[in-house]
Order: sequence, then C-alpha cells, then structure tokens
Amino acid sequence: MGADSDAGETPAVPWRKVLYERQPFPDNYVDRRFLEELRRNIRVRQYSYWSVVREAGLVSQQLSCVALFLTLWSYMEQGNVAPSTLLCTGLGCSVLGYALYEALGGEGCRERTRCADLQSAAVFMAFTFGFSPVLKTLTESVSTDTVYAMSAGMLTAHLVFFPYTQPSLPGSLSLNAALFASVCLASRLPGTLHTFAMLSCGLLIFALWPCLLQRLRRAAQWTFPWAAGTVCVCGVGGVWTLWPVGAVLLFLALIVLTLVCPLLLVRLQRHKDNIHGPWDEAEIREDLSRFLS
Amino acid sequence: MVLKIFFPRCCNMADSGLLVGRWIPGQDSAVVLAVIHYPFIPGQVKKYLSELHSQTQVDLTILGSWSFSKDSQKDMDEFLKDLSTIFSHSRWLQLSREPGKKGFACEVVHKNGHAAGDEEHEIIFVHYDQRKVMLSQLHPVQENGADVKSSELRAVFHTVSQSEPLFLFDKYDDGPLKLTHWQSDGREASILVELIKQASVPVCMLLTLLVGYRTEQFQTVFSTSKATTHMEFMRKANIFVSFFVDTALGLLLISWLYRENRISYLANTLVPAADHVAKELQNLLEWLMGAPAGLKMNRALDEVLGKFFLYHIHLWISYIRLMSPFIEMILWYVGLSACLGLTFALSVLSDIVALLTFHIYCFYVYGARLYCLKIYGLSSLWRLFRGKKWNVLRQRVDSCSYDLDQLFLGTLLFTILLFLLPTTALYYLVFTLLRLVVVTFQGLIHLSVDFINSFPLFALGLRICRPYRLAEGVKFCVLHEEPGAPLHLLMECYRTETSSCSSRDSWLTLVKKLFVGELIYPWRQKSTKTD
Amino acid sequence: MAEQEEFTDINGNPIQFSCQDFSPFCREFTVSSSKLSLLRVLMFTCTVWLLAYTGFYLTQNTAVLSAAIMVTLLGMLLHIHFVKVDHETLLIVGSLGVQLSSAYASGRESTTFIEMSRIKDIVINEAIHMQRIIYYLCILLKDHTEPDGVSSVVPLFQSSKPRLNCLVQVYRSCQEIIGQTP
Repeated sequence: MGADSDAGETPAVPWRKVLYERQPFPDNYVDRRFLEELRRNIRVRQYSYWSVVREAGLVSQQLSCVALFLTLWSYMEQGNVAPSTLLCTGLGCSVLGYALYEALGGEGCRERTRCADLQSAAVFMAFTFGFSPVLKTLTESVSTDTVYAMSAGMLTAHLVFFPYTQPSLPGSLSLNAALFASVCLASRLPGTLHTFAMLSCGLLIFALWPCLLQRLRRAAQWTFPWAAGTVCVCGVGGVWTLWPVGAVLLFLALIVLTLVCPLLLVRLQRHKDNIHGPWDEAEIREDLSRFLS
Repeated sequence: MVLKIFFPRCCNMADSGLLVGRWIPGQDSAVVLAVIHYPFIPGQVKKYLSELHSQTQVDLTILGSWSFSKDSQKDMDEFLKDLSTIFSHSRWLQLSREPGKKGFACEVVHKNGHAAGDEEHEIIFVHYDQRKVMLSQLHPVQENGADVKSSELRAVFHTVSQSEPLFLFDKYDDGPLKLTHWQSDGREASILVELIKQASVPVCMLLTLLVGYRTEQFQTVFSTSKATTHMEFMRKANIFVSFFVDTALGLLLISWLYRENRISYLANTLVPAADHVAKELQNLLEWLMGAPAGLKMNRALDEVLGKFFLYHIHLWISYIRLMSPFIEMILWYVGLSACLGLTFALSVLSDIVALLTFHIYCFYVYGARLYCLKIYGLSSLWRLFRGKKWNVLRQRVDSCSYDLDQLFLGTLLFTILLFLLPTTALYYLVFTLLRLVVVTFQGLIHLSVDFINSFPLFALGLRICRPYRLAEGVKFCVLHEEPGAPLHLLMECYRTETSSCSSRDSWLTLVKKLFVGELIYPWRQKSTKTD
Repeated sequence: MAEQEEFTDINGNPIQFSCQDFSPFCREFTVSSSKLSLLRVLMFTCTVWLLAYTGFYLTQNTAVLSAAIMVTLLGMLLHIHFVKVDHETLLIVGSLGVQLSSAYASGRESTTFIEMSRIKDIVINEAIHMQRIIYYLCILLKDHTEPDGVSSVVPLFQSSKPRLNCLVQVYRSCQEIIGQTP
C-alpha cells in the first residue's frame, strides 16, 4: 500500500472506489477505509461433538457394509454357506426392508408406484439370473490377482465417491463401482447359482440398503444410530469369524473414524483464521440456476 | 529512349526487301516478322497486309527496309528513301548488313524526313527464333488485357504467335509477293491429322458405346473443336498418347498371354493358390482358437467366433471347388478384354483378386462390425458408469441421474463387454491385417492404372525433343559487341533449368557429334559464345 | 573492361568479380566463387570411408563398403548439381530488363529474367544473420495494385555473398543504367 503515503495532501475531490470516473489519484490508490472492510471467519461453523459423531457414523456404517459383503463372499467361496441359504436370507431381508420402507414413507408423496418397484425387481432377478452363466465364465482366463486388485480398487472408489451428505444425491459412480466389484468377485465363485446369489446380495447391500437408511434418517431420526451401530457390529463380528486380526483392525478403524476424527475436527476448528475483504474476487450471490436451465 | 528491335534469326541472311512487323503500342520497340523481297508492287503489299490484319487482328505495318547486298549501296539508299514516302509511318527503319560483318547498321528516319543520327547507338537488336517464340506459349500465362499491355515481352510474344497466318504463306507458292520468315514444314501432316480427326468422330461414337469408362476422355480428345488454350491442347495430347500406349501395352499382353497355352497354366495355378490361402486361413483360425501368443482370451466367445469363421471357410472351399472347371474359360474371355488396354486388364485383375479374397473381406466385415459395436457400447456405458450421458441436443456430455435398474443393467453389460473386448479386438486385428494386405495389393494395381492413364507422356516427349514448347521464361545473351554499333542480344526460351550444354547442343547436334566422333561430355564444355 | 581487384565474400573466402561493359546501357557482372576445394572433398571422402570401415570392422559385412562408395559418389553428384554454385551473373540491359543466372558446378544453369517495367529499384540491404550484419543487393519489384508499394524483393548473388565493396560497384553501375532509362 505504497500509494497510501501521499494521502496527507488531502486533495479537494474525495476518493471514490469506482473505475468509471477519471479521478486525480493513481490507479493503485486506496484510502484509510481500506482495512475497515476486513472480516474474519465469516463462514466458520461451530460444530457440536456428538452431532459430528452421528454424521461420521454413516461413513463407518458404509465401511462395515463393504466388510460384510466381503465376509459373505469369502464364506461363499469356501463353500461354508449354500447359495440357497443366502438367497432365502436375502429375500427375507428385502421383504422386511421393503415393508419398513413403505411404512416410513407412507406420509410423503410417492414418486414410484408399487408396480414399478415390482418391475424393477423382476428386471434385476431376470437379468442377473440370465447373465450369471456368462458372468461365471467371464473372468476365467483373467488371473485371480488381477480380479482381486480390480475389486479392491472398485470398492475403494465406492467408499470414496459415496454420497455422504445429508440430502444425498444418487451417487451413480459409487454404486456402479460397487456393482462392478461384485460382478468381478461373483465371477470367481464355483457355481452359477453362487454367482446369482452373490450378485443379489451385492445389490441388496450396495443399492437397496442405502435407500432404506436414508429413509430411516429422514423419517425417524433416533433409529439411525442404532441401525448404523448394528451394521458396524455385524461387520466386525463377521470378519472376526474369519480373521480375528482383521476384525481388530476394522474395529480400530471404525473407532478412529467415528470418535477420533470428529474430535480432531472440533479441536482444530478453533485455529481457523480466514480473512475476507474487498480484495476477494466477486461472488455471485443470486441463484442463477433458473437462467441456466 | 532506347529503341528495341526484335529481329527473327531466320531473316539474318534474307535478301533485301521490306520489313513487315509491328510497333508495340506504348513501348519503344518493334517486332520484325518477315521480309518482303523485291520486286513487289506497293499496292499488293498494302492489300496483303490488310488481309492479314482482318485474319489476325494484329495491325501489321511496314516497319522499314532491309538491305543485304554487295553492290550499288548508294542507289539502294536512294531507293529506300523513296520507299519511305510510299508507306505511311511515323518512323522508318533502315537496316543494312554488309556481308563480311556480323553487326547490322540501323538508321531511323522520322516522319519529317531527316535521319536521327545521334540516336544510332541507342538501339538494341534482340534476335529471336520465330518458331520457338511462337510455339512456346509464353504469352497467355494468365491472360487479362491489362497485363498484356503492361508487359512488353508478353506483347512481343503475343504478336508473334498471333501472326501465325503470315507464316503459312509459303516460300514456294507462286504469288505476287516473296517473303522470308520461318517456314512451317509439316502442312501435309497437319492436313492428315485434320482428316483423321474428322474420321474419328464416328469411330469415337462406336467406342463410346462399347466402353463406358473412357467416355469422358474420348470426348475430350475427339471433340472437333480446336483446343483453344495451351493447357487444353496439352491435356488432349497427353490423353491421346497415353491411350495409345495403353492399348499397345494391352495388345502386347494379349500376344504374350495367348501363346504357349499360358491361360490354362494360369488357371491351373490359380485354383490351388486359392485353396492354399483357405488352408492357411484355417490354420490361422485354429491358432486363434487356442491361446494365441500366450494371450488369455475368453474361451467361450473364442470358440464361438472360431467355429463361425471356420464354417465360412468351409463354404468358401466348396465354392472354389464348384468354380474350378470354369475358371480357365473365364480367364480366356477376360484376357480378351486386354485389347481395350492394359488398364482395363489391370482393373479386371483387381476385381478377380477382390472376388478370390471375398472370405477375407467377409471376416473383416464381421470383425469390424463386432468391434465397432463393442467400442460404441463401451463408450456409452462408460458414460453411464460415471453417471453421465450424451446430450444429443447440445452435443455434449451432461450429468444425469439414472434409475437403479438402469444403473444395474448398464454396469452388468459394461463388465461383460469390457471382459470380452480383448477377444474381439484380437480377431478384428488379425482380419484387419489380412484385409490390409489385400487392399494394398489392389491399391497398387489401381495406382498403376492411374499412372498409365495420367502419365504425361506427350509432355515428357516434348520435354526431351522440343523443350521450347514447354518454355518457362526467356534468357538473353549478348551476341557480340562492336564499339559504335548497335547492341545485339540473343533471346532464347528455356525450360526450368538448362544446362548450357544441352541448350546449345540439340539432340540433332548430339547425334551429329556422335556420328563424327567428337567427344561428348555430360557436363558443360568451356566454349566461346557462338553467333 | 574487366577490373580485377581483391574481393572476398562475407566469410572471407576469395571470390572473383568481373564487370563487362557491352554498351552504355548493357552491363554484365559475374561473381565467381572459389572452386570446390580438393581438401574438403578429400576430407569428406576420408570421413565416410573411416566410418564405413568401422562399420565393416564391427559387422563384417561388405555391403557397408559398397554403400559407402555409393554415398560418396551420390553425395558429390548431388552437391555439384544442386548446392555448389560456380558463378552468378547479373546482366542488366537498359529499358529491357535484368537477367539473373547462376551456374552450378555441374554446368546446370538457372536463369530468371525480370522486365524493366516490373522493377522499382535496386538497393543494398543490410540483414542480421546469426551474430553479424551482412549486406546484400536486392531488386525491389513493383506492386501493380499500389503505385508506391513493393510487392516482393529479389536478392542477388545469393550463394556467393560478396562483401560491401563489391556490392557498391555493382550498385553504382546498375543505378547509372536505371537512371538513364526512366
């Protein structure tokens, strides 16, 4: 602000912050009021610890879902669970879930009819069942390591791109990644029915369960921690039966995600120091989306 | 001002007479076209000139007088002075040459009658070769009226080439006038050409009915209208010559083909060759159906594709077997088509190759279609995978929210296509390579056909025998200088770069040299400038 | 007629300059550059042969040696036919035009004739070439659309590149002839 030095002359015309007039000041001149408009931390929100923990529960829950899916897959691969068992359980769960979904969403306006839901379910079933022999032979010549690496990458992508925000958008990339991973994994299973069961299971866990969970959060807020907690316990327990060390690691990861990370966020919030002022680039406040459509 | 006189070399040794030519308007230069010898009647000369003017649209005048004699110089001078009063003029040139000397003497007489003696040294004689200048076609490069006026040399060229009727006047004709100029030798030949042209129109019609593909060329060549521009003439001549060469080559081919039973020999080798190709393809397919080059492909799809193609080859082999008794006959009749030209035979050969490799083409089409379908499907499903879609109206990729079942199905198909892609791509690659070999062969045949059809043989012949017909510019060299005498320049037409050797020695002199036993070199010989 | 003086080109190599006066309005200037030096030819040949012999020693393939012969011969042929300019001639005839011709070492000659009506002027130009300033003669051609414009510039003595003292002589005589015939 070197131009400030000659402010003592006090020229007759007062300085105005406009560009459309010719004024007797150098271009970079500013007067004493310049720093009056400095403001700090205008957009900092003060979080309460427990609300952050509640939100972080969604992340841990999704992680547990992936763990649960992997557990089920490894049971299937070892042949400890018959595909029919899995199918029956899945069917029961989905019927239960659908009933719950309908019960919770009763008061809101419905965008889909029951017939459309049924049609979707039929499409899932028919295509999965029809394609399962193809899927079975799909990755035959591809090496197992490649398939595992691909699945791991895709599941990571699923976790990264999952829409965790409250009014969640339909995250097609995360869902597609999860489906891709489940197709890859399902194709390594020994039988055609196994593939079918695994795919349906994947569909249940990655596609339908988040819908139900969202509905739960919206309709009955208090149930969400319980639901998330149940999923986490199920995930950790499932991994424990196969690989105890992994279960411990998963548990630690969940603890860190749910309790430590929110603590860190709340603690570090105090050190935030943002300055705003007239030097910021212009910001369009008005909602222009109606012009863009 | 310097007066430039363009003087034809053929008139160097002409007998005395009158100079016929033209003053270039706007420039201080004169073009001498011919010399009219004594004796003549002035009225006849004037009549002759006005006739020429109506024919050529060039305003030819009598420029002056030319004297090349040994005796009675004084009498002649008087006579020439008298002549200048007969013909209307603004300036009257009196050129004279003495037998022993190389240079000319020139005197300019103005209308008021006195000789401008002091201007004598400011005269340039530019000697030019009338035939070369006329045929070089340098004047109408980009003809527009303004350009012709602005450029002096172009006007000179224009004048010379426009006065062609003057040169048709034969030296040996019995006429009232005797002229010396360049003699076009070959009038009989040109009459013959005209006769042939007239006769060729019905022949051409017949040929047009017979052969469709040459219609355009024939129309160009045999159109009875005279070629107006140099370009058009060259095109006509080129097409004509290449057509003759083509037919000659075709007849040669026929004479080779129908001797010593070569047709049946060819047919007997053709069928086993096609069989062999089919066998090789079968082996290739079997190799592809295993694990080609250690690639791991989708076994099920591999087998399906392989069996499909094998069945095709099976069909093909039976087709060949069915055809084999007739192939010799077909070849015999097809070979006859070579009399229409080598290019025709080559085109037929290309078609035969296309027919014999039809299976490769089929494979290629199947492979390409499958591959194309996969690539398109994958690209559109990849957009779905990312939650985007192609907006047709805005021609861009937009984000889009899909339904759950759409996403599920799309991902399923995407996975399947992705894992099947390498197999399809390999089949596609192999068959594309095979197809490329065939296409390259056919392309070579077509290239040779184009080459024969469009090779400028006539232009090449002209370039070798008469390079001045394709002249690019002019070149001056100083002939000889004598102090006090007018400057003499020699104007030559040249084609791109001339080796000074070849410009000086024509083919004729080369043959002469060879005959006489003089030494010839490919490079320039240091020799003094000749007259 | 022909005045012999010590002239060099811009690289310091000696060149021969001669001027022939045919008449007051017709002059011919010839700049002959130095002949193809035997030493350079020898060096080129030796280099190629050494390389070829190294190649032959490594691969034991006699094709390398025959290729070297071909390369040497072909390179020399191409050089004398397309690169090496023996002399350049400028023939200026008052009221007729200017003829530039350059003769290559093989005897090939390329000629350009420019009519006087197209010539605006002949000037000496200076140009920055790498790290030095060089002078060259050039012909300015008239622009037909614009009366005062220059449509293009034709440089003279492009391959022999004589120094300024030589150029000044040519320039003076050219201006004399151009000045006579407006």
